[in-house]
Amino acid sequence: MYAGPIQDLIDELAQLPGIGPKSAQRVAFHLLKATPSDARRLAESIIEVKDKVRLCRRCFNVADRELCEYCRDARRDPTAICVVQEPPDIVAIERTREYRGLYHVLQGAISPIEGIGPAELRTAELLERLKTIPPSSPQDGQETNGLGSGSNDPDANVEEVIIATNPNIEGEATAMYLARLISPLGILVTRLASGLPVGGDLEYADEVTLGRAFEGRRRMSG
Amino acid sequence: MHVAQLRLTDFRNYESETAELSPTVNLIIGANAQGKTNLLEAVHCLGGLGSPRAPDSALVRDGAERAVLHGRVVRDERRIRVDLELRPGRGARALLNGAPLPGTRSLGEVVVTVFFGPDDLLVVKGSPEGRRRFIDDLVVKLRPARYALRREWERVLKQRNALLKTARRAEARGVNETLEVWDDAFCRAGAALTAARLASLALLAPYVAKRYEAVAGGGRLELSYASEWLEPAPSDGALQRLGAIDEASIQGVLANRVRELRVREIERGMSLIGPQRDDLVVRLASGGGSGPLLDARVYASQGDQRTSALALKLAEHDLLTETLGMSPVLLLDDVFSELDGARRRWLADTVRDMGQTVFTSAEPGTLEGTDPDRIIAVRAGRLEAHG
Ligand SMILES: [Zn+2]
Repeated sequence: MYAGPIQDLIDELAQLPGIGPKSAQRVAFHLLKATPSDARRLAESIIEVKDKVRLCRRCFNVADRELCEYCRDARRDPTAICVVQEPPDIVAIERTREYRGLYHVLQGAISPIEGIGPAELRTAELLERLKTIPPSSPQDGQETNGLGSGSNDPDANVEEVIIATNPNIEGEATAMYLARLISPLGILVTRLASGLPVGGDLEYADEVTLGRAFEGRRRMSG
Repeated sequence: MHVAQLRLTDFRNYESETAELSPTVNLIIGANAQGKTNLLEAVHCLGGLGSPRAPDSALVRDGAERAVLHGRVVRDERRIRVDLELRPGRGARALLNGAPLPGTRSLGEVVVTVFFGPDDLLVVKGSPEGRRRFIDDLVVKLRPARYALRREWERVLKQRNALLKTARRAEARGVNETLEVWDDAFCRAGAALTAARLASLALLAPYVAKRYEAVAGGGRLELSYASEWLEPAPSDGALQRLGAIDEASIQGVLANRVRELRVREIERGMSLIGPQRDDLVVRLASGGGSGPLLDARVYASQGDQRTSALALKLAEHDLLTETLGMSPVLLLDDVFSELDGARRRWLADTVRDMGQTVFTSAEPGTLEGTDPDRIIAVRAGRLEAHG
């Protein structure tokens, strides 16, 4: 135990993900040696991130305004929504330059051990984005009550939801849950194929990876 | 395959020691609590499956930051260097001929061991958990790639049980929708594990029967898989046929039973059926083997239970030798002193044909007939070789 402020800082740092007591101590003593202006800049950027960065009202990506950069961008394809767990997943997908649609950030995955169910995620908000009943819908013939049905709603005509949750059991469970939730709406739901690592050897692939790769196999001819 | 040399650094009570091993029979001798079992444990760790008796964190010498094992392994006349570093809280790292492996489990492709200690002698009459561990370890040893399957199953079970635990509470909204999703994952992973267990048991069963007859000098042993949900119950030698049952139908059976039990599982707050409750049953017919087969857990004498346990482990060695095309390293921890004279002599004779064997003993008097090619004396974490 150290005296007063330095121990407080160690304790605070140790709360951060991926930082154990030892690393917390190392970071704290590193900061102690930093110049006052360096330390102030770090402190200010932490405060600033809480003040200025918020979650996009529509997709829950990080944003510096009401809508994030993708939701604001009129060139993005509004008929596709890619569902991810966390904002960094968007950055990874954007790096591929393969996808031009919109996003939806769940802010996690279903994990009963951690007490996270659908209610703790942004699933209801996703459903709300999709729940615009098309005018030709044969269902119960009722007038829509206006909920999410505004004709200027950019999500009014989503045709495909691409589920890009992590390829672990929590991500798979979340994907399965969403697929069941969305399928009554008649919207195409797809899941990113999880397959074999490029450059890897087939014989060294584990059974789970190989099994999923089989499920996700694609037609080459015939 | 054999381990020719093993250097231990900060492993258990060893600060820095090197053991040179014979490709045949090795004896580690010393008084209790000097480090005999620790040396066997180190050989076992080279196979990437961790210690048979403790978490990795217990393997690091007091006061040290990490434990390191350097092994020189000979396989198909090739010399392979295996380096393993155990860092508590930060996991383990493995190198093969100096190149990093994606995970320590991949070492199972190179080094395979069969560990048999005093606890394993109790496997027949002990808890079902011990028998499930035996079969699940075998599942992975036969195909190291199945390790991911086992991990997935354990994680799914934990998640589903966590959900069922909260399912009763009124505030747990949306439980039913999510439960269906976890049921799917549970049945899929559970069926995959069950199919792998049955396939492995079907392969093992004939070897066990043969080894039992040899150790016991007669009698009959049958293995079966006891399961509350799998129908028809695989018993009475039906394992041979069961190995051929496909995973999809097992999944279907499990899914049906899970649906039937929905209300009770929510009431009880846990998964009530599945591979986590299944068991391996050993049944024996004593004498000439013509009598009725009886559950060894309940009806066999302690001697017969130990003989069955020995037969199980030796059969595991036989099966691995056959399927991998090479003999695993047989590690016998303090087993001789637990057997009677006749079985001891039989075992000493038998291990001579089983590739590399390393066994420990605190009582040189119990070792008649073992005739080791190399003897290593252990005293307070220091090794001294003889012969
Ligand atoms: Zn947005």
